[in-house]
Amino acid sequence: MKEDPFLLGGRVFTSRLLIGTGKFAAADVMIHAVQAAGAQLVTVALRRLDRDRPHDNLVEPLLALKNVTLMPNTSGARTAAEAVRAAHIARDLCGSPFIKVEIHPNPHHLMPDPIETYEASRVLAKEGFVVMPYMPADPVLARRLEEVGCASVMPLGSAIGSGQGLATFELLRLIVRDARIPVIVDAGLRSPAQAAAALEMGCAAVLVNSAIAVAGDPPGMAGAFAQAVQAGRAAFHAGIMATGEASATSPLTAFLQGENRPTVGDQET
Amino acid sequence: MQVCVNGETCATRAVYVADLIRDQGADPARVAVILNDAVLPAAVRATTRLADGDRIELLAFAGGG
Amino acid sequence: MKTTTFPEPRTLNSASVAAALACSAPDEATFAALLHADPGRHLEQLAQRAQQITRQYFGRAIALYAPLYLSNFCSGGCAYCGFAADRRQSRRRLELPELTDELAALKAMGFEQILLLTGERTPQADFDYLHACVQAAARVFHEVTVEAFPMSVAEYGRLADAGCTGVTIYQETYDPEAYARWHRWGPKRDFAARIDAPSRALAAGMRTIGMGALLGLADPLAESLALYRHVRDLQMRYWRAGVSVSFPRLRPEAGGFQPPHPVSDIQLAQIIFAFRICLPETPLVLSTREAPALRDGLAGVGINRMSVASRTTVGGYRDASPDTNRQFAVSDERNIAAFCAALCQRGLDPVFKNWDAAYRSEGTTCT
Repeated sequence: MKEDPFLLGGRVFTSRLLIGTGKFAAADVMIHAVQAAGAQLVTVALRRLDRDRPHDNLVEPLLALKNVTLMPNTSGARTAAEAVRAAHIARDLCGSPFIKVEIHPNPHHLMPDPIETYEASRVLAKEGFVVMPYMPADPVLARRLEEVGCASVMPLGSAIGSGQGLATFELLRLIVRDARIPVIVDAGLRSPAQAAAALEMGCAAVLVNSAIAVAGDPPGMAGAFAQAVQAGRAAFHAGIMATGEASATSPLTAFLQGENRPTVGDQET
Repeated sequence: MQVCVNGETCATRAVYVADLIRDQGADPARVAVILNDAVLPAAVRATTRLADGDRIELLAFAGGG
Repeated sequence: MKTTTFPEPRTLNSASVAAALACSAPDEATFAALLHADPGRHLEQLAQRAQQITRQYFGRAIALYAPLYLSNFCSGGCAYCGFAADRRQSRRRLELPELTDELAALKAMGFEQILLLTGERTPQADFDYLHACVQAAARVFHEVTVEAFPMSVAEYGRLADAGCTGVTIYQETYDPEAYARWHRWGPKRDFAARIDAPSRALAAGMRTIGMGALLGLADPLAESLALYRHVRDLQMRYWRAGVSVSFPRLRPEAGGFQPPHPVSDIQLAQIIFAFRICLPETPLVLSTREAPALRDGLAGVGINRMSVASRTTVGGYRDASPDTNRQFAVSDERNIAAFCAALCQRGLDPVFKNWDAAYRSEGTTCT
């Protein structure tokens, strides 16, 4: 692909497919999926150490992958204070300045809390984190998060795990139009076509988890998503044909006079 | 003494937090410690004594989010 | 500010124009394409799309306001303006009792939105005078906007606290050479200070600003592009505020100023359509400087805000005093009833009140 760098937090990435690591059957499947996706940003959660498998952790094999940057997330936090603390712990553990602020207190729908997310983002941005807030697809909230120093915004396409795709398409369009930081659609993408659609409409990247993790062949699906993201981005640059809109009303410009007066007969319809 | 590790009470003979981590079989470089609701920096684990009734959370990165 | 050099027009075949018209996320390139489209072939299409978008974003409402000139004292040297310091005319300003009468007259006519105007700073019409007038007007009208000399952030803030909801300030021309030529003396010669004034007003928390270029001073397509960029920059930076765009056009004055780049009705219409299509939510304003037929044709077809029954002398509403010593000639002299009837006949809905002062608490800022 030609020069099309994805700038985030002062770093340059070439992959516009971010991977979430939940729901995978096994760590090695997840690693293969990350590789197949060519992903450079992978998000991991902070959990209590599983004492039955104390050495079976994700971080080693992930860090062993070239070009992978860890982006810890704060899932499990229910308040800004918890998220901030999780961010501190995460940065201590892996040294990555990236933090996905993820605060969804209601387990029934896992919708992000806009108020706690804003507050945590504000604090963490001031502390120098590269803040990537997972948020409802709200255009005003997106501007406010940009204002307080987030490196990107991550509006949801639809609820986590729901596979409803870009249910928030019209809102995403407004967010993309007015954002001066990358917009990364996160959550709800079910198929590569949906990821392509997100890139076509101007999103900078997508984050995919469930669709890859629960696929029959996660690495295969990850590779498919990677191709879709590239196709969507290429289409965005190539300029997609607009849908035509027919209008048939009486002429509006008859009142105009002048040397090159447009006569109705000359006008194209 | 009795301590509570990740929500489970257990007996331990560890003197310092670092010893407890080793006893749990965890890789110290890959685990974060919360001692009685406060984050315990890695640098002081070897010199922080455990007390009876302490609550310890051992956190590590895992898939999710 | 970027320079006003025009991008090389792409080969504007019908397909390019059609694509620009159908674009769901219009940008600067779309705007340039619409400005360059051949009006002989495409003006009607632009008009149709402009009407469609106006209806979608503003319904059929046309917001109506009146301009009230507070004074024609002016220290400025604008070559094109009736109030320039070297033009012979009697100068006066509205004193408070007169102002009160004028405000009452306008209120009785039905207005709720007024624009207070004055010239460049003079001792007789300075900031304190303007501030006092705003206070008086804000007691009577729901929306008070001001078109006056550039001010500091602090001054704009004080004006907002006094009840001013918006500031109009035209760059006149974005071409620095033309700007220097036509602004012969005084503080207005400072191009940078003027171009920065809208963002100072917004930084002070002013709710709305009105912008425009005085069409005729320089190449209208270049001016339009520069204006578009200026508007977009401010909309992106001050996303809580409203920006509106006006289209003041210089008409050749008998024995007076001859605009070096006269703009035809068709060019004006095309510019307005391009702005409407590419800035769908931005109110577009047309004053009584333009003739009735043109105003009727453009109302609801891009334009959604208009002045009516205007006097461009100092005061002038209380008595039907002779319309001498004007800043510019009014071409549409229809009274409110006649103008509103014309709007209704075209299926449009004249609206006098868009904003309720009851929403204001202390001051009117939106930061």
